[in-house]
Amino acid sequence: MERRQGKRTEKTRRYYDYSLLFIIIFLSCFGLIMIYSSSAYVAEMKFSDGSIHFLKRQALISAASFVVMLVISKMNYHFFAKFAVLGYGAAVLCMILVNFTPLGIERNGQKRWLGVSESLSFQPTELVKVAVILALACLIVLYVKRKKMDEWGTIFLMVFVTAVPGLLVLMNNLSSGIIILGIGFTMVFVASRKKLRFAVVVGLGVVAVIAALQLGDKLVEMGVLESYQLDRIHVWRSPESYPLEGGYQVLQGLYAIGSGGIFGKGLGNSIQKLSFVPEAQNDMIFSIICEELGLFGAACLILLFLFMIWRFMVIANNAPDLLGSMIVVGVMAHIAIQVILNIAVITNTIPNTGITLPFISYGGTSVLFLMVEMGMVLSVSNQIKIEK
Amino acid sequence: MKKTEADTEVRRTTTNNRKRIMLIFAISAVLSVLLIGRLTYLMIFRSAYYSEKADELHERERAIKAARGEIYDANGTVIATNRTVCTISVIHNQITDPDRVVEVLSKELGMDEDKVRTSVEKYTSREVIKSNVDKSVGDSIRQYALNGVKVDEDYKRYYPFDTLASKVLGFTGSDNQGIIGLEVKYEDVLKGIDGQILTLTDAKGIEIDGAAEGRIEPVAGNNLYLSLDVNIQKYAEQAAMQVMEQKNAKAVSIIVMNPQNGEIMAMVNVPEFSLNDPFTLNYELTEDVSAEEKQNLLNMMWRNRCINDTYEPGSTFKIVTASAGLSEGVVSVNDQFYCPGYKIVEDRRIRCHKVSGHGAEDFVHGAMNSCNPVFIEVGLRLGVSNMYKYFNQFGLLSKTGIDLPGEASTIMHKQDNVGEVELATISFGQSFQITPIRLLTTASAVINGGTLVTPHFGVRVESADGSKVETLTYPVTEGAVDKNVSDTMRSILEKVVAEGSGKRAYIPGYHVGGKTATSEKLPRSLKNYISSFLGFAPATDPKVIALITIDEPEGIYYGGTIAAPAVKSIFENILPYLGIEEDYSVEEIAAYEIGDVMMENYMGMGVSDLKKKISETDLEPIYLGEGDYVTDQFPLEGELIKKDSTVIFYLGNK
Repeated sequence: MERRQGKRTEKTRRYYDYSLLFIIIFLSCFGLIMIYSSSAYVAEMKFSDGSIHFLKRQALISAASFVVMLVISKMNYHFFAKFAVLGYGAAVLCMILVNFTPLGIERNGQKRWLGVSESLSFQPTELVKVAVILALACLIVLYVKRKKMDEWGTIFLMVFVTAVPGLLVLMNNLSSGIIILGIGFTMVFVASRKKLRFAVVVGLGVVAVIAALQLGDKLVEMGVLESYQLDRIHVWRSPESYPLEGGYQVLQGLYAIGSGGIFGKGLGNSIQKLSFVPEAQNDMIFSIICEELGLFGAACLILLFLFMIWRFMVIANNAPDLLGSMIVVGVMAHIAIQVILNIAVITNTIPNTGITLPFISYGGTSVLFLMVEMGMVLSVSNQIKIEK
Repeated sequence: MKKTEADTEVRRTTTNNRKRIMLIFAISAVLSVLLIGRLTYLMIFRSAYYSEKADELHERERAIKAARGEIYDANGTVIATNRTVCTISVIHNQITDPDRVVEVLSKELGMDEDKVRTSVEKYTSREVIKSNVDKSVGDSIRQYALNGVKVDEDYKRYYPFDTLASKVLGFTGSDNQGIIGLEVKYEDVLKGIDGQILTLTDAKGIEIDGAAEGRIEPVAGNNLYLSLDVNIQKYAEQAAMQVMEQKNAKAVSIIVMNPQNGEIMAMVNVPEFSLNDPFTLNYELTEDVSAEEKQNLLNMMWRNRCINDTYEPGSTFKIVTASAGLSEGVVSVNDQFYCPGYKIVEDRRIRCHKVSGHGAEDFVHGAMNSCNPVFIEVGLRLGVSNMYKYFNQFGLLSKTGIDLPGEASTIMHKQDNVGEVELATISFGQSFQITPIRLLTTASAVINGGTLVTPHFGVRVESADGSKVETLTYPVTEGAVDKNVSDTMRSILEKVVAEGSGKRAYIPGYHVGGKTATSEKLPRSLKNYISSFLGFAPATDPKVIALITIDEPEGIYYGGTIAAPAVKSIFENILPYLGIEEDYSVEEIAAYEIGDVMMENYMGMGVSDLKKKISETDLEPIYLGEGDYVTDQFPLEGELIKKDSTVIFYLGNK
């Protein structure tokens, strides 16, 4: 107790992960630069405030979100863990509102926004990610404490808690749904001591994917599936065959990536962003990065994300308690899955699904909740006590 | 750090947790490396492929039209060339003031405002408003400097002689591609390779400012040099027009060719049409016609009757029958015949054109008289198989291979279906059809010593900068006729002109040979005729051969009366032009008082002495001025003049 009191008086000996903070700042600024680069031409033609239309909005939201992050990072995460149930409830409610009430706003054919107007709206899926991370972390701590973590009942409860918002999201947003389910899976996996059941789930997943690819065409022949349900897979296999329909976006992305070469055309020199790649500042921004900064720039960006994930690992491993650790694991899973999925989609490694690149892609809700998550991680890092 | 498991706060992560967190990181790291690998594949190994695809997408090509090769006549005179015209187009996305654009364009181009507006408002990357606009109009539109309006320079075919040899030269369409005539036949030679301006554009086709422009220079087409001679063509055209007007004929065609090598010097089909305005009929329409009918009428107008149409040659074909007969030895020059005015073949009585008959005559006189019974007899002596053997040998049953599109084939009886009557009619050129060019080419072989040439216009192809020259060659078949037969035929045909039915084509000193023909068109009941004359000169060594066909002349329709004089008038003009010297026979010198004298010196001579002296010569004196003595004379002393020339004397006092 003496030591503890001593530490409380010596605040300077608290840890704060400045490396992570630096990466966050760097990625956010890099993102703003790339948003400006990829959107300026189109914005100039479309909006009254000209080329800085997207940059301005994103910069304002980023700055505000950054302040929010700093505030959260200085709070004790045990404090906001108390709002886990409330947050979870709010997230599920929002998803129900989006999916089943007129408050859900449809853009580009997908009902993903909640609000009263275009400008006053947000994507509750981002809230769901944070809420699920917090709720699961709390639940895991609760059951580990009761030593019931690996009981089947507990597992099913966790699956239920993840799946309810996960499936609600999945209805309109496949990729976010996958991310949420992935976060849940990763957190439970880290907390558990069992191996076989996870191996079985992964194995089943792999089998399901292979079966879908192998049997898809046969099922269409048999009349079980309609061919349009396999469109994504057809496009993925040969985007050149569908240059105008589903393959357009992928193909334009590939043109951008391929024309980048090793060192790229130079910042600002992308041609594919001139309305060839649709909404280049959103999901497809990585392809513009490839075109302008080349393989070198793209690889650096991937390594920066990997470094960030490594920082998460360090913080999770050194967190003062399981709650902090699990929160960081959730965030780590979130960032890792989203980055990898985004780049895999853009390089046509996996079938196309709309997914943004964290910190880089344009999107207000996304950056706000990412910053909230980063604040939580920094908050956990801030609780680490350095022992000498 | 010594805390018990029972501590109320859940302990820090276990080793198991850490291992699993590290596993998550490891998986992320492996996947990241795999993605970098995938990127490496895409951005290095597939880079060329995707870059090219992307460039194709970004680059908009604007074609720079290549100049079409020019066409020159035998003297190097340009007869088909290019004029700069403009193509006016608009780029929807770049237009800033559509109303002004519509106003200016409709005013300058004289177009309907609504029509222009439709084009301007059309959402395309590039919309052509009007092509083939005069350069001056294009320049004035450029002066307005309207955003989104493009004025591109372009070439349009231009024919300086307009109607000259229209059906031979042909013309080009709006895309500068040949439509008829030599323009079609030599399309590959004349058309150049279009160049390109490559500009970078965004997805909507807007050109990106400051992007480097790629430019591929166009390659101009090759120039084509013809054997056609503008002057000879003009002479022939004049003669044809004159006959057509005098005889109110439907059409007159003339071919003038070098019988030795097949080079065509003129090919006339009057009425000609304007090559610079080929889609306007060369006559007034009396009634409204549908677009389809109009096109049919245009096609008719564009027809080159010398090669596209066949006709019954009539008596000119007797050249072929005679050559075949002489070659086969079934007839000789001195063979005697008797013409009672008809000949009975099987049950048919086939009339001679001279109802009273030519009486007793030898073969040469039979030819001079163009006597049908004589040639029927020769034909029957030859027999069907021999006749067809020579048809093949003379190339009559195949096309000539002239370098013009659409040559018609000979329409001849099947050999198996030819009986005595058919053979008889074939012998004097009836009951089958050939093209004028086919007849002329075979006649050339008969008179040039037996060489079957390929008639042609194209002589030489030169690249635009003159660096590459290709002389065109054409197939030649020797031995169509024996040389002796050829010599005999030339002398017979010269006699036809000198003393026989072709005498109206006679020109002293030029040894014109030829054969007349008057063919009745089908159906015979309409009494419509084609009169024709095939002539060549000089018979001693033919340098030029010509065939005129007059379609449906009114009034007197005999070939000897109306066709032969036309060829005479052409020959009178072009034989000296071609540098062929007169070669008078003794009889001609006597008959036409031909001869040269040396001008003497009459200067200072008294008028009475002068008049006495002049009266002893054939000179025609003209006296100018008043006086007793010659003060000046023209021509001057020592000049060689024709002995019947006019001479001028200036008179005065000492």
